[in-house]
Amino acid sequence: MFARIIFVSALFAASSSAQWFDIKVAGTPRLPDGRPNLSAPVPRDSKGKPILDGVWQMNGKYLQNLAADMKPEDVPYQPWAKQLFDARQNGALGKTDPAARCIPGMPKLDALPYPFKIIQSPGMTMMLFEGFTTFRQIFTDGRELPKDPNPTWFGYSVGKWEGDDWVVNTIGIKESTWMDNAGRPHSDALHLIERFQRHDFGHMDILLTIDDPKAYTKPWTVKEDLRLIPDTELLEYVCVENEKDYGHLVGK
Amino acid sequence: MHRSLRITHILAVGALFTCAASAQWFDLKTPNIPRTADGKPNLTAPAPKLPDGKPDLSGVWDADRSYLVNLAKDLKPDAVQMLPWAAAIYKERAAGLHAHEEPDANCLPQGVPKIDAAPVPWKLIQMPSEVVILYEAFTQFRQIHTDGRKLPVDPNPIWLGYSVGHWEGDTLVVESNGFNGKAWLDQSGHPATEKLKVTEKFHRRDFGHMDLEITIDDPGAYMKPWTVKESPTLAADTELLEFVCSENEQDIKHMVTKK
Repeated sequence: MFARIIFVSALFAASSSAQWFDIKVAGTPRLPDGRPNLSAPVPRDSKGKPILDGVWQMNGKYLQNLAADMKPEDVPYQPWAKQLFDARQNGALGKTDPAARCIPGMPKLDALPYPFKIIQSPGMTMMLFEGFTTFRQIFTDGRELPKDPNPTWFGYSVGKWEGDDWVVNTIGIKESTWMDNAGRPHSDALHLIERFQRHDFGHMDILLTIDDPKAYTKPWTVKEDLRLIPDTELLEYVCVENEKDYGHLVGK
Repeated sequence: MHRSLRITHILAVGALFTCAASAQWFDLKTPNIPRTADGKPNLTAPAPKLPDGKPDLSGVWDADRSYLVNLAKDLKPDAVQMLPWAAAIYKERAAGLHAHEEPDANCLPQGVPKIDAAPVPWKLIQMPSEVVILYEAFTQFRQIHTDGRKLPVDPNPIWLGYSVGHWEGDTLVVESNGFNGKAWLDQSGHPATEKLKVTEKFHRRDFGHMDLEITIDDPGAYMKPWTVKESPTLAADTELLEFVCSENEQDIKHMVTKK
């Protein structure tokens, strides 16, 4: 976050960089003064479905605490999950968060303090993440989720439309990922349901449902809000370059 | 590193044959592939075209790994004329004295064009205003803007550079600049500087074969530009795997170092 703020300031001082990251993105509705009109209607494709393309940034609070909008007692932990969550508080065990070793994972990837870009292509929608310069592929070609797949950090994702909601189902996520910086755990049974709801040109929610019967007694849902970042482009982010944090983290 | 990468990938591919459950995801029939009578992909069928008449370069491509070790392997020695400092560092790197410093051995990006020759495939997606390349290698991506924007002037140097593309006939010409000069061009250690400009010309010869002509123009390291021709092949009916370099990385401590 800090690096991005510095860079954005640098744009004002360096017009040569600005021409790349301050480009006018085609198709952006504009106000009379030329600024993007972020409350313009949702753009739609020839079938009437919302177009989700754009550079998006999630509200940062969900990275720190996925349950930020819930009462703590409303998170339906299984006993072992509550115990592990408690043990991770106040930075204890910080070293065991794979993200601290530059390994991102779902669902934290969506909530990084850097933007991501959605590109809908036929049969597959990409999410290109500035954080870690990595990507998710969400298949929309009608394939089924794999049965008992080799666990991965990002899982396996398929997407489909339900009305104006784009619904992404993801399974096969390695159980060692933390779901937020607070340390909410999950198991290998984690099934994520992301419901993308674009409300207008500049605003979108992801209704994220955590369905993990091994770690939680019932599914629970959070509403994460995102804003469109107009007229810009992703930067390159290389986590392992000159990484100095890990040596200062505590944990086993 | 790269040897282990290759082995990892071979193991993963091998696993597909023993694991039908995974196979259903990675062994899906890619739609719209021309097939021979026995159902196999017809890799010599004509290259597909988009409604606007341009070739569609989209697909999962197996990189031409033969250029990973030595990008200049097909060239006569005098075709690659290095400046004295570059010749000196190349000699040491080629002798293995700096293997532990190779950026991608440390899970740093391979840079361009080394990433094009990675030992794992990449997937090209051609969209109206940009071409995206998703690399299985380290699960990274590049965006190649084809919306008419110009390359930035004096940009902040980065590993994978800034790329724009335009069509010359049936060839997509991709120009890139803004590299940080830290990446090696190949495993033998051809160096580059921040002055590096790379031109990649993608030409889909037929359904299953790409000509990829790469020109290295780096007056900071070479006396004149030099050009090589790689030949990626289409990987039909499969998908990229996830590849996280820094997971359980065990190679770097075994690599030699110059004392």
